[in-house]
Parts: sequence; C-alpha cells; structure tokens
Amino acid sequence: MGPCAATDPTNVTEPSLYLQGIPHDRFARLRARPDLAWHPYESDGFWAVSRHADVRHVSRNPELFSSAIGHTNLWDLEADALEARRSLIDTDAPDHTRLRRLVARAFTPKNIRRWESTVRAIAAELLDEFTAQGGGDWVDMVAAPLPIQVILTMLGVPTEDAAYLVELSNYLVEGTGDAQSIPPDAFGNTTDLRLLPFNSPASHALFEYGEGMRQRRRVDPQDDLVSHLVQAESEGEQISRSEYRNMFHLLVFAGNETTRTAISHGAMALAANPHEWQRVLDDPALIDSATEEILRWATPVMHMRRTATADTELAGTSIAKGDKVVMWYASANRDEAVFEDPFRFDAGRANRDHFAFGGGGPHLCLGAFLARLEVAVLLEEMAKRSIWLEQTSDPQRARSNFVHGVLSVDMRPKRAP
Amino acid sequence: MDLGEGLVPVAVDQGLCVGGGICEMLEPAVFELDDDTVISSVIGDGLLPRSRAEAVVNRCPAQAISIAEQEQ
Repeated sequence: MGPCAATDPTNVTEPSLYLQGIPHDRFARLRARPDLAWHPYESDGFWAVSRHADVRHVSRNPELFSSAIGHTNLWDLEADALEARRSLIDTDAPDHTRLRRLVARAFTPKNIRRWESTVRAIAAELLDEFTAQGGGDWVDMVAAPLPIQVILTMLGVPTEDAAYLVELSNYLVEGTGDAQSIPPDAFGNTTDLRLLPFNSPASHALFEYGEGMRQRRRVDPQDDLVSHLVQAESEGEQISRSEYRNMFHLLVFAGNETTRTAISHGAMALAANPHEWQRVLDDPALIDSATEEILRWATPVMHMRRTATADTELAGTSIAKGDKVVMWYASANRDEAVFEDPFRFDAGRANRDHFAFGGGGPHLCLGAFLARLEVAVLLEEMAKRSIWLEQTSDPQRARSNFVHGVLSVDMRPKRAP
Repeated sequence: MDLGEGLVPVAVDQGLCVGGGICEMLEPAVFELDDDTVISSVIGDGLLPRSRAEAVVNRCPAQAISIAEQEQ
C-alpha cells in the first residue's frame, strides 16, 4: 500500500492511521451506508462489516463464514503456511470444538474465579510499586506485567522468564503491522517467516520455549495448563505437535497482549474522565459496568476476518463464495444504533453487549472471564488505595490495524482532585 | 402442555458446546459443565421462564442451547 492509502478517506487498513488511534470518522461513514462497502486490500479486497448487528450475523453463522479458509487476518496465507500456523482461531467445527475443549476447562467462569486471590496479589504489588515510584510508564509498570504474570502462572512458566516472554510478545505486535525491527534470523530462527505466526522470528522463539516446557512437563508433570496439554497428547486426545505449539503461542500472546491493551486504554479513559472514576469510588457496585465499558472502549482486537463458504447476502449486499468478510469490532463497539452516546466513556453503562471478545459466535475469546477478572480486580485495588491517574505523556500506539496496542503511556498517581 | 408462568424447557446440543460455561454462570440450577469433558448438560427439570431461557440462548457462543418447544 502506498502513501495514498492514508489520505483516502475510505481506507481503514493503512497501519499508520492507527498511530493516531482508531479512525472512527471513517468507520462512522461505513456504518452510515445502507450496504456493505467493498474495501480494496492488496491485490484483492474484502467486505467491510461495520455495524453491530451485521458483525453478530457473521460471527454467529460459522457455517457460512468460515475461520478455516485462507486466514483470519486480512491477507491470505498459502496452504502450507496456514497449516503450519493453524490454531484455535483458524479452525471451524469439529476441529475448533476439539481443540477448544482441551483448554476450555481452565477458563470457565467458575474456574477463573479461583484465580482471584492470585490476580489480586499481583495487582496490589504492581500498584504499590507504581505509587512508590511516583508513577512512570503505565504499560511497563502495570498493564503489561499483570496479565502476563497471571497467564504465565496458569501455564506454569517460571516468573523469572516473564520479561523474556513480554519481549517476544512485543515483537509479535510489530508483526501485525508492516514494520519489523528484528531480522529474520533473530533468536536463531531458520524457519521461513511465511510459516510463522505474525511472520515474526519471535514466534520461532516462543515455539522453542513452549517445546522446552513440553519436554520438562513430560517427565515432571505439574498442576498447570502445559502439563494438562502434554497429558492430553499422551492420552491420545488428538493434539498434534503443531497444534500444541500454536496453542502455547496463542495462550501466551492472547493471554497478555489483549488484556494489556484493555488496561492501558482503561487508564487513559479514567485519567481523561475523572468524574467517571469518582462515580466508581462512590459506588463500588459500578466496578462491573466500568469493567465492561473499559473493554468496549479499548476493543483490544479490532477485527477478525471470515471467508464466505457459499453465495449469501448481508445488508442487501451480495457476497460471493470465497469472498473475504471482515468484522470490525472497533466499529461495532461505537455503533450509534446499539450504544447510546457511544463516544462517551460511561462507567455505569447498562448495555454490555460489546464485541471486545468477538461478535458472539463460537470463537468467543477463550480468556474473556480471565480478562474481566483482571480488569475488575485492578479497579478494586485502585479504588481501595484511592489512586487517581494523571496522564503525563501522549500514548505511543502500535502501528497495527489488528491490535489496538499501546506501547507506552506515562501516568502519575495523584490525590483526589 | 401448559408449563405455567411461561416456563419453557431448554436443551443443549452437546456436539456444538465449546465449554464456555456461560450457561452455567447465568443459570446454575439448570446447566452444569461436566468437570472432565467440559460439556454442558441440563440438570434438574430443565425449565426456565421464557425470557431467561432466551437470554441464555442468545449468550451461548456455540448456539448449542435451544428452547425445546414441545410438540403436542
């Protein structure tokens, strides 16, 4: 894509646009059309699905809108690359159902609640350090370490390796944009980048790390997710080597990157809307709605793509078999037809029907209840300490149309205004 | 059959269930996830007021839950 993509007011995929935040004005124009817009992309294009109801339709009709064909990102993968990179995300039933059930148990609302005290202890420690230091980079000090420490604990990864896995994860985010800062042979990678998730050599490093853990848990199983997967493999529950390493990769990446994004945007929203934080402090019952509003506001994953399996119709638009169809959660979460005053951050918003975890179909974010727990507990611990946030730098945003990432943003704790 | 007060029976298609656990969270007296298979089943009489049954049907990501309309 050339520089003209950034100035073309109908383009929503140019990664550099996202350095200034989601191009909401462009999405508003897409939502206002009665039909679906055909959005050119590379040598082809996709149907841009921007309204809440239409996103839900695509998400909840997986037989018509497949996750297993082509890719769930905007660009198609060649068949060998798709196979090598295939995870839970890029499958349809029955493969999706089989893989999902291998890890689903750990993430049910009932089982996630058991992690509350762990999450609370980590959040408390990070907030106390943030306050003691008088603030700093919120992403580095709070938003990144909280979710990564939690998911690594669940996986069974030692805490001393957390920094390394955060580093790898940061390179993966770069891989979702169009600029990589590391060479193809970084981390000793010799695999063709086409075959690696996000085309990133950091994926090779993450695969290697996951493989090391698999070997260790084979001989010395623990009560953790990796041991559970290794056990499923040995019991013949049909998880291949490739499926294991992609699952490990997915759990590490999705388990930290997305919640980090939610916590980063949440902090910015609370700093910009102190009256909303005051409402939460005055009425702790608002923690739940504030959590959902932060998730809607942040929309950590901005889109997912499907591919039509048959000729069909949506919003009066004919979709042909094989067409790419892209669900823009970032747009649906600001849909005026569903959310009253959608550009207002409202900690007490009653409507929780946001698509921060997908559009309501079978690929619902596996970690949805873990993410909710992490955000809610963080808010509770901030409230307990009467921490008010003051934003002291512009955010440095990810150059990506896929993850709504914040690389850094400075915050300072302050007394009540 | 009149189930009184708009109660309707719900059913789970266990082939579709992805073990999200939302049904169990919303209606713990009616749905239970098996500890081992992580698949949801209907427990007890499986009856819910229609509006609550519809809410669970709408929230189930796998669309595995339905209102089992009785044919008479």
